[in-house]
Amino acid sequence: MSFSRRRFLALTGGLATAAMGVTGCGSNTGRPNSGSSSAGGGGSKPALSQWYHEYGEDGVQEAVERYAKAYDKADITVKWNPGEYEKLVSAALLTDKVPDIFEYGNGPTLDMIKAGQVLDVTDTLGDAKDQFSAPVLAPMIWEDKVWAIPQTVDMQMLYYRKSMLDKAGVQPPQTFDELIDAAKAVKTKDVGGFFAGNDGGLGVLGALLIWSAGFEYLNEGKDGIGFADPAMYDGLAKFREFRKSGGVLESASADWFDAAPFVQGETAMQWTGLWVLPQVQKALGDDFGVIPFPKIGTSGRQAVPIGAFSSVVSAKGTDPDAAKAFIKWLWVDKEDYQVDFSNSYGTHIPAKTALAPKADKLASGAGADAAKFVAEMGHGPDLLWTPATAQAYTTALSNIVLKNADPKGEIAKVDAKAKAEIKRVNG
Amino acid sequence: MSTVVTRLRGRQDRNVWFWVFVGPFFLGLLIFVYIPIVWSVYLSFFDARNTVTPTRFVGLGNYSYLLQDRAFLTSMGTFTVFAAFIVPVTFAGSLGLALLVNKAKVAKAFFRSAFFLPTACSYVIAAMIWRLSFFNGARFGLVNTLLRGLGFDNVNWLGGGNYWYWLVLVTLRLWLQVGFYMILFMAGLQRIPTDTYEAAAIDGARGWNVFRYITFPQLRSTSVAVLLLLLIAAFQAFDEFYNTLISVGGYPPFARPPLVYLYLISLGGGTQDLGLGSAGTIILTVLIAVIGLAQLKIVSLRSKEETS
Amino acid sequence: MKSSRLVSTLRYVALVLLAGLFLMPFYVLLRNAFSTQLGITAPQWHWIPDSLNGDNIKELFNNRNVPIARSLANSATVSIIQTFGTVAISAMAGYGLARIENRLSRVILGMTVLTLMVPAAVTFIPSFVMVSSLGWISTLRGLIIPGLFSAFATFLFRQYFLGFPKELEEAAYIDGAGYWRTFWRVVMPNTYGICAAIGTIIFIGSWNAFLWPLLIGQDRSYRTIQVALSQFMTSQRIDMPQLFVGAAVAILPVVLVFIFLQRYLVQGVERSGID
Repeated sequence: MSFSRRRFLALTGGLATAAMGVTGCGSNTGRPNSGSSSAGGGGSKPALSQWYHEYGEDGVQEAVERYAKAYDKADITVKWNPGEYEKLVSAALLTDKVPDIFEYGNGPTLDMIKAGQVLDVTDTLGDAKDQFSAPVLAPMIWEDKVWAIPQTVDMQMLYYRKSMLDKAGVQPPQTFDELIDAAKAVKTKDVGGFFAGNDGGLGVLGALLIWSAGFEYLNEGKDGIGFADPAMYDGLAKFREFRKSGGVLESASADWFDAAPFVQGETAMQWTGLWVLPQVQKALGDDFGVIPFPKIGTSGRQAVPIGAFSSVVSAKGTDPDAAKAFIKWLWVDKEDYQVDFSNSYGTHIPAKTALAPKADKLASGAGADAAKFVAEMGHGPDLLWTPATAQAYTTALSNIVLKNADPKGEIAKVDAKAKAEIKRVNG
Repeated sequence: MSTVVTRLRGRQDRNVWFWVFVGPFFLGLLIFVYIPIVWSVYLSFFDARNTVTPTRFVGLGNYSYLLQDRAFLTSMGTFTVFAAFIVPVTFAGSLGLALLVNKAKVAKAFFRSAFFLPTACSYVIAAMIWRLSFFNGARFGLVNTLLRGLGFDNVNWLGGGNYWYWLVLVTLRLWLQVGFYMILFMAGLQRIPTDTYEAAAIDGARGWNVFRYITFPQLRSTSVAVLLLLLIAAFQAFDEFYNTLISVGGYPPFARPPLVYLYLISLGGGTQDLGLGSAGTIILTVLIAVIGLAQLKIVSLRSKEETS
Repeated sequence: MKSSRLVSTLRYVALVLLAGLFLMPFYVLLRNAFSTQLGITAPQWHWIPDSLNGDNIKELFNNRNVPIARSLANSATVSIIQTFGTVAISAMAGYGLARIENRLSRVILGMTVLTLMVPAAVTFIPSFVMVSSLGWISTLRGLIIPGLFSAFATFLFRQYFLGFPKELEEAAYIDGAGYWRTFWRVVMPNTYGICAAIGTIIFIGSWNAFLWPLLIGQDRSYRTIQVALSQFMTSQRIDMPQLFVGAAVAILPVVLVFIFLQRYLVQGVERSGID
């Protein structure tokens, strides 16, 4: 192809200009025009756009708009995005009209970093780096640089109805075998035993099956998966058995991330997020308890997943320095806002460990249990566990559970994919 | 008469007017359809992750990767099953409805509307009704309520532990589309001259024979058009799958037609491999074109045989 | 003739049953729109809605976060302009291709038909990047213009005009009219049927579009109704009553357009040479 990129772009640009001529229009971006702050033109403040996904709790949108308004060094326009947020962000990053600041689950993807779409915020974070929970920050670090600032930590755990377990005469399960027995014991004609989503838990429990069996996503050398082990295969076979035992409720009025099935009495136990805690307390009073995911096999351990939506700065933004200054102000310095964001709308854990005591919802009862689980058995994602590898793992899990495939063979395929991906991103 | 007309319009003049009429459309087609297509073709030869201006040329690498990618080949298989089923069923269903409604003497317009109205519904809304009400796997789903009434257990329709999701997808698509093709067949039926039928009645032809020897052959050109449209539509199957099966955890690894798979690769959560996505859609386009042209060829050959 | 009466009775039984089946989803949509969340997910299915006082509708239009009225207005603007624009552009192009001889006709026709085979997904990202570089994000231009050039509509119009009787035009030329006047004054007034047919299809597609408006209408004030509806499905919960009442409101205009234009539609298809 002698057809160079520049020529191609010039050609498309020419045609695009022709289109503009045809439609006779200027270029109105629909965004406030930003006066560049580096020029310091007339003391006008830089104008920045900040994107969030649509949170389900009431009041969050007003809160983040309030924070943005309170900042006096730049005009921040908050954009609240419904629909499929990840797709929206990744599409927008391809254009020249990028959001200056956006949140993304567990920081930017490795591909975003490698494509130069996002900026490193190591200096922005500075000494404050140590104030953040290490496993939360880990997936945001690549080549010793930090690429995002965590906003608030989310975790998931197992909620159970005390009265239902008592009636069936079972204890809250500590091991996977106990969970299987308990789910069967509490199940009645109208109430399911255990619920973890309308896909039977394939989507949300995948990582837990690894951690609870005592393994990690990747091996020590970070060049392949860390769970190609007979104990893991046994655990997966056990999970398959669990799915077939009749104790798992496979469909409910809502999905796992929603408190409805649990509070409406559709299931005695449900795997869901800490964020639903206020709803559950309101509906059930103290007729519920929370536990981590039970340990699988002899070498296993209890585990809970943690993750954080984090603030990222675009490389192609209008004023990256001003954007960095803002996220430092909001997510590092303004501790009262961070506590408010975590604690006032649904329940989350402040990303800076020292702030946890200030969140009153974590002070007692189930909230305190959750905070303890996070501190003692929290596991976060791994940047090298790429979306493609994760997809391969979900496929393997689906084949093992739904098609009775052999765990060993399926996990070998995941390993091959993970190796290829790691080779690619390090290449 | 036509000589007068020709004298009135010079050659030059005709060219100007041709562009006045066709120009706006052609320009728009070039800018908004062809540039993106050419751009996609260009991307398909590059390693283009999270960028539309890639620099790493990989030649046919994306193509060869996909043609060895089990997930892509499986998605083609999924699609083949779907098409092999949906095309004949929609064809028969819409033709059947057209014949039923066409002969109705009372309330014809009402019945036509009832079958045609679903065409107005969007996939998003239809998928919501199917997923959350009809085929909800929970106990409150309509179909499960009926099944329990008959003494069966609840069925988990979309869990993937069984093949019932095909029923959900097929009924959804039938409901949305059958009415449209019914209208095409009704239009075809209107065109059959009544004296053909009268002649057949005199010859003593009845019911099935009338259909087999008169109606169906007369509908041939309509049938060809419907088949072609159905095939293209089946190949582009995306919305009903995506809206029915997507959840917060992502799209399940089963029931994934090629377009859904490619969409997830190129715009899915976290991965944005535009080179691979483009290569895949180009493979698909070539397939659609080949099948479409083959079908047209067969039809034109057959009509030649019949005329000779 | 006994047998024919039996046949016609059977025909009506089948028609009534099938019509009931086809209309049932619409009923379920309405039932859900007038139910509470608990009513929709009650352990037992029931046919009668439990919130008939229209609370859901009030709540929908009073919801500050979801600009329903504004979204409906946006959808209406986009769909109506797109429908009329596409019909005009495609009718002209179809007429030009069918009636005005030109060396390039065949090439342009081939290029048009070829795009029918290309799945829209192929061109999605490049289109988006291009429209963005034109500065059309969050503008009505960006929502409307890229969708004005329908190969499908142009192809159908061309087929239709090929079968259109030449006598009318010949008469107009004798009277000294040019292409332009002939087309708008003589040809178009005789094509309401096909225009209604193609217009309906375009309108439905435009009204129901989701992904493009989601990416382009990034500002709240440019959201279309389908995008606004997706706000009821967040990562923490699905607000079913609001979702369904919104869907009912969203589907109403299309159903009305449909019922109104249906007669033309059947005639239009009949004569379009769609086959």
